[in-house]
Formats: sequence, C-alpha cells, structure tokens
Amino acid sequence: MATLQQTIAKKFLDNLSGSDAVNASRIEQLRKLLADGKKVKPEDLVKIFTAAEDGDVK
Amino acid sequence: MIKLESAHIEEVRGIRKLDINFGKGTFAISGPNGSGKSGVIDAIEFGLTGQIGRLTGRGTKGLSVAEHGPHVDKTKFPDAAFVELKVFIPSLGKSAKITRKVSAPRKPKIVPADADIKAVLDETADHPEITLSRREILRFILVEPAKRSEEIQTILKLEEIGQTRGALNTAQSRLQTAHKIAAGQVQASRDTLQRHLRIATFQAAELLAAVNERRVALGLTPIEKLTAVTKLDAGLSETGKAPEFNKASVLRDLKALTEALGLLPNAGKEEVASILSSMARLESDPALLDALQRRALIEKGLDLIDGPDCPLCDRPWDDEEHLRDHLNAKLAKSEEAGKLQGELLKSGSDLARYVVRLLALLGPPLKVASGEGDAACANLITAWTTNLEELKAQLISMDGLMGLKDRLASGWSATPKALPAALKALAGKIEAKPDQSATVEAQTFLTTAQLRLNDYREAMRKNEAAKIASASAQEAYDAYCRAMEDELNALYEAVQEDFSEFYKAINEDDEVRFTAKLTPSEGKLDFNVNFYERGLFPPGAYHSEGHQDGMGVCLYLALMKRLFADRFTIALLDDVVMSVDSAHRYQFCKLLKSQFPNTQFVITTHDRLWAEQMKSAGLVTAKTSLAFHSWTVDTGPLVESNTEIWDEIAGSLAKGKVDTAAASLRHHLEYASRHMADQLGARPAFRADGNYELGELLPSVLSRMKDLYGKAAESAQSWSNAAAKEIAGTRKTTLSSSSGAMNVEQWAVNKAVHYNEWANFGKRDFEPVVSAFRELLDCFRCNDCQSWLYVTPKGIPESLRCPCSGTNMNLKVKPKG
Repeated sequence: MATLQQTIAKKFLDNLSGSDAVNASRIEQLRKLLADGKKVKPEDLVKIFTAAEDGDVK
Repeated sequence: MIKLESAHIEEVRGIRKLDINFGKGTFAISGPNGSGKSGVIDAIEFGLTGQIGRLTGRGTKGLSVAEHGPHVDKTKFPDAAFVELKVFIPSLGKSAKITRKVSAPRKPKIVPADADIKAVLDETADHPEITLSRREILRFILVEPAKRSEEIQTILKLEEIGQTRGALNTAQSRLQTAHKIAAGQVQASRDTLQRHLRIATFQAAELLAAVNERRVALGLTPIEKLTAVTKLDAGLSETGKAPEFNKASVLRDLKALTEALGLLPNAGKEEVASILSSMARLESDPALLDALQRRALIEKGLDLIDGPDCPLCDRPWDDEEHLRDHLNAKLAKSEEAGKLQGELLKSGSDLARYVVRLLALLGPPLKVASGEGDAACANLITAWTTNLEELKAQLISMDGLMGLKDRLASGWSATPKALPAALKALAGKIEAKPDQSATVEAQTFLTTAQLRLNDYREAMRKNEAAKIASASAQEAYDAYCRAMEDELNALYEAVQEDFSEFYKAINEDDEVRFTAKLTPSEGKLDFNVNFYERGLFPPGAYHSEGHQDGMGVCLYLALMKRLFADRFTIALLDDVVMSVDSAHRYQFCKLLKSQFPNTQFVITTHDRLWAEQMKSAGLVTAKTSLAFHSWTVDTGPLVESNTEIWDEIAGSLAKGKVDTAAASLRHHLEYASRHMADQLGARPAFRADGNYELGELLPSVLSRMKDLYGKAAESAQSWSNAAAKEIAGTRKTTLSSSSGAMNVEQWAVNKAVHYNEWANFGKRDFEPVVSAFRELLDCFRCNDCQSWLYVTPKGIPESLRCPCSGTNMNLKVKPKG
C-alpha cells in the first residue's frame, strides 16, 4: 500500500499531466525526483523548471 | 511492519535482564506503578526504532538515549545495554532477529540481513508512533488546534510533505523573481533599441521605416516584413560594414545615461522607503530581528539537514525527524518575521529592476569609452557595473538585503562622483568628431540597430524562458497544494469516520449517536465532538477524563489504520486506557479484537482489574500476559508468576537481605492467592473495587481448595474409584498439614498481613516462614507440570485439573439409582 506521501506525489503528477503549463519532460523529471526518496531541494526544482525543453534550438 | 515474537532485554532503562515471549499475539503487561512496565515498552521501542520516546521531545531537555538509555548502574558501560528482538514480518512471511545496543542505536545487527527484511525494519524504525503512551494521547485531544495539527502531522509524517511543498514554494518564488528581472531586462534592451532607432512607438512598421530609410540610402533592398530571423543590416557586408559607431546614436546614449543619473536620487524611492521602514521595525524590535535572523539561519539549517546531526551546531539528535521537528517549531514561532521577510524580498526585487535598467544604460557608453581609449571613463563604468551587478544579487536575497541598510539610506545607486564629468568629457570628444557622411551614418545605424535587436531578442528569449519556468513552478506548486489538500481532507474525513465508529463501539451504552468533526485549516486542525447530541464541542469541554482518554486512543487507532492500513501490525500502548471505566473496557477489548485482528498490541496497565478484564474478554490469555509485582534497582522488574521465585528468595536470604526476600514472598503470595482465587472460584467477601488484600484472599483460597479436594474424594467414592479417592484424600491431608504448619507459624502469618515487619526478622526466623508457604502453595499445583490447578467449568465445576492432565479430579458425584 502506498504511503500518504506517495499518494500525494502521484496525485500531484496526475494533476500536472493535465496542465498545459508543465511539459511532459519536466513532469518526468519531477517524477524521478520524488521517487528518489531524498529530500526535495529548491535548487533541484529550479534546475528542472529552467532546463531547456527537448528539441529547443535557441 | 512487524510482529514481535520474543524479546531479550539487558541493562536497558530499569531492566537488568528479562526475556519475554510475545508469540506474535497481543500481550498484556501489568504491575503497580514503578514496577518496570514502561521500561519494557522503552526497550522494545528502542529495539525497533533506536529511540526512546520519553527521552526525547518536549520536557525532556537534558535527557538522551545515550546517557539515560542504559540501566543506572551501567551508564558508563552502554555496550552492556542492548535489546534483542525476534520479529516476524507478515508481508514477507519471514522472521528476523534485530539486536540494538544503546552504544550504537543507529547500527542494529539484523539477521538475516536480507534487503527486504532490512527495508521493513527501516520502515518500522521510521515510525516511532507505534508507541503510544498516556502522556502522548492527550496531545491529540486537549491541545489547541495548531498544536494538534503539529502532533497529527508528526504521526502522518507530514513534515516530509511540508518539505516538498516548501521546496516548490521557494522554487516558484525564486523563479518569479528571476522572471521579474528578465522582464526588466527586456524593457531595458527595448529602450536601448528604441532610443537608437528614434521611433515614437515600438512597432515593427516604425522600426522598418527607420531601417529602410538607411537601407535605401545605401542602395540595399528594403525589408518588407520583420520576422524573428530578419537581419536589419543584411547585404551590408557586400558594400563593407563600417567599423565605426553611429555618432548620433552614441550621443543619444550618453545623453540618456546622463539624464538617468540626474533622476537616480528619486528612482526606486518607494521601494527603498519600504525596505528601510522594515529595517527600522527590526531595529526597534530586537526580538523580531532575532526571529528573522534565526529564521534565515534555521531555513538554511533545514536545507542542510542530512542526518541526525544538527548542521548549525553539530549537536547530535536521536534522529533526523526530531531535529527537523525542532527546527520547524522554531520557524513556526516567527510568523511575523516571515511576513516581514516576504515584504522585504518583494521590495528588494522591485528595486532590482531599476538596477537592471541602469545596467542596460551603462552598456553602450562603456563600449564607446573603451573604443575611444578613454580609460578613466571606461574604468569608472566598469567598476560601477560590477558594483551594480552585486547590488542586484543582494537585493533578491535576505542575507544580501540585511547588509544594505547604509547603502540604501545614502542612495542605493552609489553613483561614482566623477562619472557625470567623465561622461560629459566623452560626449564632448564624440561631438568634436567630424559629422559622419550619410553613408557611414546609414551603415553604423544599421549595424548598431542589428546589435541592439539581437540584445532585445536575447532578452525576450530569456524572458520567455523565465516566464515558462515561473509559470511551470507556480503550476507545480499549486498542483502539489491541491493534491495535498485533497488527500489530507479525504484522510481527515476517513479518520473522523473511523474515530466516531471506534468511540461509539466503546461507549455503545451511552453515546450511540456520537459524532466528531476534524476541520483542517491552514496550520490548524480543529477537533470537535458531539456531547449527547447537544452540539459539537472541544473534547475537553464536557467529556470526562476517562472519555477523553478513550478519544485519544480511538483517534490514534483511526490515524494508524488510515496511515498503515494492512501494515498496522504492531502498537505499544503504554498505560493509555487507565481512566477508561470498567464498564467500557470490555468494549475496548472487543474493538481491538474486531477492528484490528491482525495487529499485535502490547498493552501495559498498572490496574490489576484491567489485566484480568483483558483475559476475560479474550484479548489475552495467561500465556500472553505478564505481571510484575515490584521493582528494585538491583533486580529490575520482579515477575509475579516467576517459577524461580524460591531460588530468588533463597538467594536474597543467602545475602542476608531479609527485606528483599520478604517483599518477594509477599508479592508472590499476593499474586498466587489472587490467581488461585480466580482459578478455583474462591469466594472472598466481595469488594466492589476489586482490591482484595492477601489476608482476605488466602483464607478463602485455602478453604475453597479443601472443599474441592473433599468433593473430589466424595466423587471418587461414589464412582468406587479407590485410587482417585486416595489421591484426593492425600492432597487434602497434605493441604491441612501444610495449612497447619502455616498455623504453627501463626505469629508470622499474622505478620504476613503486615509484611513489613518481616523485614525485621533475622534470616533464621524467616526461613521457616518461607518453607511453610512453599509447602502450602505446592498443594495447589500439579506434581507433574507444576502448573496451578483450576476448576472447570467455572460456574458449577465438574473437575479440578491442570493443563497437562497429570491432575484431573472428577468433582461430580455419581447420580443415585
């Protein structure tokens, strides 16, 4: 049985997948970060949100 | 989660050496206050989690497992203090042994060290809430809502969720600031471009008009449409790009900067005033300043936590969770400081936008000064640019802001005094240059326009990326909050339903319509209960202490059920239901049996009656119960049904400790009399409180046993069973003679009622007393298995027997005729 933390994380990612603001690649990175079991740090999140999107040539 | 099979405890808390066989089932430990029950719970908790709850948390300052975990005589030898638990893991169908020393609480030895076993034991170690003491249960019930929320959050491990939420919040706040700055850079680069083009509005048509005017002059094709890849100076290379700057444009840049310098004293005035006002508030309120400084430090500390040692002061904690709770509690205390911090950071980032604009104005003049070899001017601008970059970084962090008071008070820009004159001189130098030919003017116009368009496009790209990042972070934060709120609301709803069900089950006679309401709001958890359908009130308002205790246990059980579901396999309940009145205890036992059939409860109670009721209700049996009669610092808990009691007494007498021997004998007699009265159906004068004295119980037990042996002989006679008759007769005779021997010691027996006087006996006086009682008690045991005899069935007994059937006397007389 999933822990409360895992349940919230799953619901969070499900919520995000229905949103246009966060793309699939970022959702996947968030999934990995949360599944890691380590403490989530703001720096890790900033890195995910500011990473260039796949396929970007800027 | 696990179930306990057995425990071996050595030199932990008040225990010297103790073995308990739990047999994976619910187990009761009873004994008077101070007899060592909680020591057993402490030891099991330590064995499973490496912690001892009552040595940590509130009101335990100065206590630690390392110093106070070992028996008081072994504090200098923590290696001698250890717990060895044999556990069963239902989900794996495996057993394992975990040995944990007080000297190394975080390094248990696990055998077998299979990864799946270790994972389950790690999970168990991560849940100290499997232990519930009375001290803790009222934390859920009687505390104010904010505290209750904290307590329940601890059980639910919400701090981990809070940590993720906090990280998302910090990330979105940082990215929002970054977006603000990026937007400022777009504005600044747009101003720079617009200034160069000399257009009134920043429209593509106007831009193209200005550009095409120069392109036509140079014989280049006009640009029809401005796209993302349009090159304003396209085709220029073929006619040769002029390396020079555009004189008119440079002069406009220098003028713009000079004008901006003139406006600087008023720029960002509002933001500066807001920051300085917040700082003044801090100076006038040292406690607030202290809270803010600590806040910054604690936030840093929380970020750096990586294990049980405090990253701020190196103090070792029992575990990371306690350390985190401690720091979070400190953070919560500084809400006002937190609000002020938010205001400061907002004003800081607003002011940073002015800095960004100023930096954009400095760029072109720096290029010109360098190109013209005006080292003095170039150095001034370079140094100031560096200084402003640092200021920008400082303005968006708390640490940075706190060091800016003097600068902000004296003018945030810190304009180099020599700069206006240097700029004037540079402008003079440029003006003195001959006017550029129309061709050169057009060429430099186009190259400069392209460079600035590139800058603008880059700023736009960065701003777009910052906007997406900020929006993503904001969406993620909102999504997490929504998920957290939904799940917690659902959880609280389920908990409140379970809680009401459990509480109604215990109080089915008088509170069948009981309901409860858990209402979560930001940082609080209100809890109200129905009082006899008169409305919802806080639990402490009208309900009795006993009812509140019951509520505490029910809320705990409801939380554990929802938190662990089928993994809720063990709970250590340390004297938590002592105030529940006897009428509701059977229902409580029923609740545990019916709602938690797969959970092993280890329950301690100082109430003998409770211990008996657990047996009567079928929650535990004689085999799954343990009773302590007392405790001494030398021996640890003394077990009532200890088969080695006579060796213990002899040992004490050998050491000349008559008082210890006397206490042991007295307690054993109390235990044995009580047990035998129950087993044999003796009839002492009824006492409503159930607190029978030895002097009341022992005579009635003797009388009952004589009567039973007499009945057995009579029955044997009626069935013409000579052998059985002889056995019963012999036992009755032995009992009478032992009883007689006891009477010989009448002076001692009388004193047995006031046994403290035994302590004044000499060894020789006391030894016959011990022998007399030993002989007497032997008359109540089976000669083969040494178990106490009992009658069955209890109402109208038909036989007197023992568990091994070595003794089995028929009590029914053969019907006549």
